[in-house]
Amino acid sequence: MILWFKKFFLRNGIVLSLYMLLMTFTWIVVMFVLPQVFMFDFSFRFNWTQIDPSKIGGPEDVYTLQHYKFLLFGSPNNPDPFNVVDVTVFGRTILAAVFVTLFDVILCYPVAYYLAQVAKGGITRLMMLSLIIPFWINELLRAFAFRILFGEEGTINNVLLYLGILDQPIDYVRENIALYAGLGYAYILLMIFPIYNAVESLDRNQIEAARDLGSPWWRIHWRVVIPFAKPGITSGCTMVFMLSAGALALPQIIGGPSSLWFTQIIYQWFNTGSNWPRGSAYAMSLLVICVIFVLLIMKVFKVKFGEIGR
Amino acid sequence: MSADVTLENIWIRFDDFTAVKNADITIKGGEFFSFLGPSGCGKTTLLRAISGFQELSEGKVYIGGKDMAGIGPNKRPTALIFQNLALFPLMTVWENITFSLEVKGVGKAKRLKRADELLELVALPGQADKMVNELSGGQRQRVAVARALAAEPEVLLLDEPLSALDLKLRQHLRTELREIQKRAGITFIYITHDQGEALTMSDRIAVMREGTIEQVGNGNMIYDHPETAFVASFVGENNAFHGTVSKISAGKTIVKTDAGELEATLTEGSRLSTGDKAIVFARPESMSFVNRKNSVKNVFKAKVVYQEFEGHFWHLILSGPNDKKLKMSVINSGSSHDYDEGTELQVNVNSKLAVALPSGPLAAE
Amino acid sequence: MNSASILKFFISFYIVLFFAYLFGPLIVMSITAFNSAGFPRLSPWDCFSTEWFGVLVNDARMMAGFKNSLIIGISVVLVSVPIGLAGALLLAQLSNRVRQVYYTLTISTILVPGVVLGISTLIFWDRMGMMFDVDYESFFYDGIFLTIIGQSTFISAYTMLVFMSRLQRFDPVLEEAAMDLGATNVQTFRKILLPFLKPAIGSAAVLAFLASFENYNTTVFTIVSESTLTTVLASKVRYGINPSISALAVIIITLTLCGAFVHEILKRREQAKELALKKEEKTVSVKSASRGLLSNPVPMMVLLIFVAGLTTAWMARGYDVQQCKIEVSEEKRKHQAELSKIRRVEMEKKLEAQKTDTASPSTVTTKKAAPGTNQYGNIFAPTNLEGQVESEETNPVTKKNTENQYQNIFAPTNLEGQIKSENE
Ligand SMILES: Nc1ncnc2c1ncn2[C@@H]1O[C@H](COP(=O)(O)OP(=O)(O)OP(=O)(O)O)[C@@H](O)[C@H]1O
Ligand SMILES: [Mg+2]
Repeated sequence: MILWFKKFFLRNGIVLSLYMLLMTFTWIVVMFVLPQVFMFDFSFRFNWTQIDPSKIGGPEDVYTLQHYKFLLFGSPNNPDPFNVVDVTVFGRTILAAVFVTLFDVILCYPVAYYLAQVAKGGITRLMMLSLIIPFWINELLRAFAFRILFGEEGTINNVLLYLGILDQPIDYVRENIALYAGLGYAYILLMIFPIYNAVESLDRNQIEAARDLGSPWWRIHWRVVIPFAKPGITSGCTMVFMLSAGALALPQIIGGPSSLWFTQIIYQWFNTGSNWPRGSAYAMSLLVICVIFVLLIMKVFKVKFGEIGR
Repeated sequence: MSADVTLENIWIRFDDFTAVKNADITIKGGEFFSFLGPSGCGKTTLLRAISGFQELSEGKVYIGGKDMAGIGPNKRPTALIFQNLALFPLMTVWENITFSLEVKGVGKAKRLKRADELLELVALPGQADKMVNELSGGQRQRVAVARALAAEPEVLLLDEPLSALDLKLRQHLRTELREIQKRAGITFIYITHDQGEALTMSDRIAVMREGTIEQVGNGNMIYDHPETAFVASFVGENNAFHGTVSKISAGKTIVKTDAGELEATLTEGSRLSTGDKAIVFARPESMSFVNRKNSVKNVFKAKVVYQEFEGHFWHLILSGPNDKKLKMSVINSGSSHDYDEGTELQVNVNSKLAVALPSGPLAAE
Repeated sequence: MNSASILKFFISFYIVLFFAYLFGPLIVMSITAFNSAGFPRLSPWDCFSTEWFGVLVNDARMMAGFKNSLIIGISVVLVSVPIGLAGALLLAQLSNRVRQVYYTLTISTILVPGVVLGISTLIFWDRMGMMFDVDYESFFYDGIFLTIIGQSTFISAYTMLVFMSRLQRFDPVLEEAAMDLGATNVQTFRKILLPFLKPAIGSAAVLAFLASFENYNTTVFTIVSESTLTTVLASKVRYGINPSISALAVIIITLTLCGAFVHEILKRREQAKELALKKEEKTVSVKSASRGLLSNPVPMMVLLIFVAGLTTAWMARGYDVQQCKIEVSEEKRKHQAELSKIRRVEMEKKLEAQKTDTASPSTVTTKKAAPGTNQYGNIFAPTNLEGQVESEETNPVTKKNTENQYQNIFAPTNLEGQIKSENE
């Protein structure tokens, strides 16, 4: 370790070594890890209302599990065996995120494959660029666009009504269709690029060889392309899952009134609820469950973490 | 200005792999010294150790008598010409050449003047404002030399700088480099796996194998008096006859081989003794045809497999005893020799030119 | 062969659908910015108007948020580009095992939900503030500072990825060459590595700015009592929407397109340079450059957009918004009258039907769509040239009046929509 530092300083000189080490230390430790630790710690604390501000940090400022208990069982006078609202919302958020992820894989795989193996030169570049452009546009504006489309007086209803396909406008927002379409839309890029990168490195000859051997097209994908692109697919899925489970803007804007997103509950604890420790406990739970879920998926598909994001 | 370079018992290890084993030589100031060896034998590693990029595991490097331990590459009086030249692609030719002056804070006018001088020296006048990628391979080569010389090094280190060029240009630049060295009067340490390059340019050569320096000497010594089986097989063409020593006498030995008993000279200080495994090396030009049977020692039968005419030489591939493949060169004396394929001939090995060496690994074909 | 071509057709069809999904929402939103109706919608189309851009510019809260977003965006660039660069440089020097851990940590900053990042940043600095006992005016509690820190946490990972991919193509021997020629570490960094990384620094900066500018999840927690464009937008969008947000979208989309265009040009130029570096023969690079120009669809695209913009501008000149609005309201009133007439007729019919047992409600739907087509004709109705200037000069009071008037006129149909949208 010390030897490594010696070598490092020798190689880079003092100025650059300090620059690199201090910057990354600030970033990883001060900006990222420590805040997580503090949040973790904070989630076991009493709320301001429960403790005299002068006693904070004193001997009476002890740890408590109440916030996690609350997430699981609700308030003490809750008649149900567990906290129905929050736990259901939690479960539904995870499920919905899984659904959005699956939707994106199915939607994006053909496009990624097309871009990587079928399309040529200029077309590929144009398509790539057109993929990126929508994602340079504010997430909220994208949500807004979906609201225009899917509103009860929205474009889709109007078109369908005009064409005579519908005779009653559908409330897409209430049905959560708008939300799923919006979330799926929001993370397309994060799904396409990893898959594209993986498929692109696949040697075309392998596909040709498989075709020569008489494989039908679906079998080629199932046996050759998809196994090869597995790291990319997993990487894309991980990102889409994490981001949709942690989404806030879209559920706030185009989420149906009946279906809260778990992040919205967290937001409420911080805003109107004014109970930061409880919000932290909720956020911590979301983080932990998401990470466990992702690690599980990686284990199942035998993909290493290092392959993500490349 | 030139400085001598002393390598003192240098070992270089990477994790579990030893790249340089006990290198211990002194290179004299103003000398053109070559390291010759097959790919991967540790030449670049050794050169990087001299220039300060490679840490030593053991041993010391002295340049001009000064211990270089703890002195960074930018402080050493050496300049390195890299295997791939490493010209800065985002700079013009003159900016490349005077980079060493730029980092010292020399003014632009002065640098431009110096660049012109150096371009003159390497025979590239008027190319100062080109970008590096607009030059041909040979021109880049010269820019690299000029850039290294601009730093006014006492020792110039060159890592196979000609390997990427075609044969004609390579031969041309060889002489040019040699001339530049004489003019600049500094120590050149040159690395190559091309023996022709080493033999033609160098004052002295060190032959390396798998991290070990096997022999140091001038070209003539290395070629005529190899000290190990590897050197004999690596430098120039050689035919190897494996066998056991049956008799030793002053400076001479007789080795029992497939081709019968062969007499050969012993190198100075040879430790061969009777019963040892040994190899007799005979160069293609040290063999000749004889007509009479049973006349001389060192004669065996061989059949011509293939012949090749190369002006002043005939190169023949023979099939010797036990179908052993042999190479032989015969001077073209003008009379139309005809070594038809399949002809059986008597071959004689000149015992004065053939050397007997202890058995050891040979260079790969 | 036949099945293959069918497959090909399906794939092309799919790709078209996919891009429709990608761009449809944006296009629809952009068009609604030019509809004078008080609710962002395509149909029914009222009048072509640019008034919503004016509404946008006069929105003080939005402008304040925009200013903060700019400040934060620039600061995030200044923080995350050096950090990302340091991170990428360090990564290249780590031994394999350590590198795995390090990389996992850095990528985690992207994967951890933005909400969590925001909360943890907020809490961390709050606690630190308590620890050091600073007062509430200090930067520990400053929304802008917290947001810069919170956003930089994950945006630094973005910039690091950009630098990593660029560094992969760097030949470290160049650094050694510079050092060998007497350059110090810092000189080598400044004269060799930085020039090489220049394009990556540009891309990283743009990326960081955009990521910061559009961020919501982290910002909404760290911003505390301040506001950014996104938080203002979010609260606006949640409590009733109007087309000025579409107008903002139009501006951002236009800027993005321009940005993409510039980026594309720069990238192409750099690629050509690199190609030239690789190939010695100049002819090759020249050939590929000319081929690139011919096959480059992006400038064509931008040109098309430009032409379209000009055309709209030209058409807008000969067109008076106020007049159109009056016409539309006139139309609506007529339509209203017609509708009530139809209703009356229907009622009569129904009464009849009760007698004869035949009803036909389908006529209503077809009639309903008819005015839409009429309105289209009105949009391009030629009117006086001064219209544009006049409409801009109309003072806000009269404008309000007309708006009120306008809402009053077709209260029955439109108010319904308004209420509904506010309920959402
Ligand atoms: N950084 C390193 N880590 C581990 N092994 C190394 C390293 N550098 C070199 N080696 C090993 O050391 C040996 C010698 O390498 P070196 O580059 O010195 O060869 P060389 O003689 O210059 O060969 P060539 O003629 O091909 O350039 C090789 O086997 C190489 O794999
Ligand atoms: Mg080498």
